[in-house]
Amino acid sequence: MKKTVLIFFAIFFSAVSSQAQKYITKSGKISFFSDGPLEKIEAKNNKVNAAIDAKSGLIVFKVLMKSFVFEKALMQEHFNENYVESDKYPLSTFKGKITNIKDIDFTKEGTYDATVEGDLTIHGKTNRIKTNGKFIVSSNSINGKSSFTIKLADYNIEIPKIVTGKIAEEILISVDVDLKPLKR
Amino acid sequence: MKKLILIISALGLAAGIYVWFYVYNKPHTDYENKPPDYIMTAKELYDRFVENPNLNYTGKVIQINGVFQSVEDDDSLITVVFVFNEGMFGSEGVRCTFIPRFNEQLRKLKAPGPISLKGFCSGYNGTDVILEHCSPAN
Repeated sequence: MKKTVLIFFAIFFSAVSSQAQKYITKSGKISFFSDGPLEKIEAKNNKVNAAIDAKSGLIVFKVLMKSFVFEKALMQEHFNENYVESDKYPLSTFKGKITNIKDIDFTKEGTYDATVEGDLTIHGKTNRIKTNGKFIVSSNSINGKSSFTIKLADYNIEIPKIVTGKIAEEILISVDVDLKPLKR
Repeated sequence: MKKLILIISALGLAAGIYVWFYVYNKPHTDYENKPPDYIMTAKELYDRFVENPNLNYTGKVIQINGVFQSVEDDDSLITVVFVFNEGMFGSEGVRCTFIPRFNEQLRKLKAPGPISLKGFCSGYNGTDVILEHCSPAN
């Protein structure tokens, strides 16, 4: 009986502590920007799913491409139909790890530099990427920020011939997420 | 001949102006006044996407009804949340972000409660079905 009670408490406390180590958001922000000779392209998505396991450093992002909002409706239409083909590839993901997790204490308030490495999948194509970022740990949330550049060609995103050379071949992606402890 | 060139030039200019104003600067879709492509319950919508994540409801206007569990007020965007499951991102279900002009009306909602709404479906992200530019359904 004693053993059963002990096992029960061990499972209970391990479940509680593993939940406390996860931080999530469903309203993370990702924007991208490119500055080509023909035009500047900028879009924002504020419905990004992100989760971090503070113990292992695992990070997951899930981004619906149709949630990117452009200033011009025509640009948004071209982005979805001609560039990222969002009907065919509706979801982009990042699955990776904070490689310097030992330097970050998610239980202690402060600003921490982080390096993140993982697989970024856009337009059905996956590439390994490495980037730097910052975590600002406060009493009730963790803010994560990072920005990095990707080449459209690396994700098989073709620039239509009519605008080749007029639209930038690289885009700057900025990430800004406010993560809260996962509660059950 | 000179007159013909002038007329053709004027027509070309008019076409250019038309393209600039009505194509390049065309407004975003008014989802509030767009009739729904599909009508179902929030649970049906969620279940169908869980069964088939590549469901072709993405990009369509969908009207749903059901009992919502919470209302999130974030960054002046209000999201009505239907919960049907638990997963790695916590609760999972249907998340509906409204056109800001309905914010005051939505802030009076008491959760949980019944609601009928329609919005643009941007897809299923593996945890939730996302509806955007939502408005109350009549």
